[in-house]
Amino acid sequence: MKLYSLSVLYKGATKSNLLKAAFDLSSFSFFQRSSVQEFMTFTSALIVERTSQGTRASVKEQEYLCHVYVRNDSLGAVVIADTEYPQRVCFTLLDKNPREADAMTKVQAELDETKIILHNTMESLLERGEKLDDLVAKSEHLGNQSKAFYKTARKQNSCCEIM
Amino acid sequence: MLHGVPGNRLLTEFRSLRHVRIFLLLKTLMGLMSQINVNLCRFSSTLKRDEIGLIPCPEARYNRSPIVMVENKLGVESWCVKFLLPYVHNKLLLYRQRRLWLDRQALVDITCTLLLLNPDLTTAWNVRKELVECGALSPERDLYLGKLALSKSPKSPETWIHRRWVLLHLLQKAPPADQNQTDAERSRLLGEQLAQTLQQEMKVCADAACRYPSNYNAWSHRIWVLQRLAKGNVKVFLDELSSMRPWVSAHVSDHSGFHYRQFLLQELTGALAPPAGCSSNGERSAVEEPPHDLPAVQQLFCHELELVSDLIRSFPGHETLWSHRRHVFFLWHRWKEQHPGDGGDEGGDPAEGAQTRLSQTSAGVPMEVERGCSSDPQDIKRLRRGVPLPQPPTSQTEHVFVSGLLDGCGPEQRSFALAYRKWLDTVVGVPS
Repeated sequence: MKLYSLSVLYKGATKSNLLKAAFDLSSFSFFQRSSVQEFMTFTSALIVERTSQGTRASVKEQEYLCHVYVRNDSLGAVVIADTEYPQRVCFTLLDKNPREADAMTKVQAELDETKIILHNTMESLLERGEKLDDLVAKSEHLGNQSKAFYKTARKQNSCCEIM
Repeated sequence: MLHGVPGNRLLTEFRSLRHVRIFLLLKTLMGLMSQINVNLCRFSSTLKRDEIGLIPCPEARYNRSPIVMVENKLGVESWCVKFLLPYVHNKLLLYRQRRLWLDRQALVDITCTLLLLNPDLTTAWNVRKELVECGALSPERDLYLGKLALSKSPKSPETWIHRRWVLLHLLQKAPPADQNQTDAERSRLLGEQLAQTLQQEMKVCADAACRYPSNYNAWSHRIWVLQRLAKGNVKVFLDELSSMRPWVSAHVSDHSGFHYRQFLLQELTGALAPPAGCSSNGERSAVEEPPHDLPAVQQLFCHELELVSDLIRSFPGHETLWSHRRHVFFLWHRWKEQHPGDGGDEGGDPAEGAQTRLSQTSAGVPMEVERGCSSDPQDIKRLRRGVPLPQPPTSQTEHVFVSGLLDGCGPEQRSFALAYRKWLDTVVGVPS
């Protein structure tokens, strides 16, 4: 039951800007961590860009679940967790506004009435004709090593790795 | 393609150029190999390597070694693998085919390099078995290599299989007799060594289980180790049960982790209250009664059902939890059938003979076991002060649990709950 990242972004007209992020990548092997972090940033930015204002959504990609909330004022937050982490807890986390004293009860009431869109893959967020591979190649969030990591991971998408 | 050059001469030129390239590459690769092994061999250094990893790096950017060391992590850049692996693999195969002689140290180096890159090469592990048998390689060092390989490939079946061979070898090998040691001291030292090996194996399994979800190979190795190194040892089983509690609570869909708990429960019921007419340990004398701690068995099952109920409520919609509940309830149900009228609704009398006792110090604290003579009135007071024995689980209580959940739960949880109810009626057989 893991929480990997929590990012706050601003949804601009054409792209989203990362304002602040926190990561817990201790469960990944040491040399993968920097690439994983870059990927999570890339994914968070992409998700916020493709989510309309005033929407909550969950995107499933392999063994990760990304939960996003974009407010009406274009401020968005993304939580990336594993499939065990309860969805409800994530959305409560995303909604937290420390200035409101009774935040928890207010948020719970809101959540009960809100519809959360569920995407089964990242691909469903993309426009028709857009490919994730192209977006990865063009991304400024990802260094060369991460892009190489992505290519090898796509090729070896099997549980038994034979180098 | 050179025109006008006769075919034969072109072939000769190409072959010699290729040979030059290969020669240079070999020199570099041999240097690489010894680098990897030198890094690993630093047993005494404070920064003992505890993890290896492959760094995705398709091209060699700079003219430098592909070995990267950060703190106690060893990394190998991926570009060098396509040169290093075939070269080293080929050498080993030639050795096996008796077309190439390699001395023992070279074999240690080569197999080490090979297995760090690809731990599923049985041939390499088998060469290491031979080296262990002839004394050129210490079993401890081999186990260390296995641990490192598992940090990169936590499922690798060949690594686990080889590990069991080494452990058996360690168990069978009698330590050298020391004139100055008494028999009692020797067996104490042996016991300590065994306990240490056990702890180490538990740690390796736990790390591998964390690195890959539902890591069947790691958990079945863990079971194997307990069966070999801790047979009938109630304390170890109870410790494992309590130490795994937070782990399974944080990995609610890890089926193998819950299966491990089912194994522990089964072993504990066998050890604490074996079926009437036989003893749990073949070495027991005919006069001594095997321990029969029936309230303890009931308490075990109650605690387990409490844990799984709590998890089912907190984390709805995980089939693993329901599957675990089925197993636990079925084990309890079958045990009850084999022990009719035993350890039922009131606690058993603790004041008879030497017994194992379970006591709960406070809510949520892991159970402890105390073995002692219970004719001491203090002991009885301690037991009475503890939590009263909970009601034994029955089909009825299970149905109550299911009904309680069905109100206001999501569709997945609902379907699991209904399936469980159907199982209770069909398989266990006592309708609500």
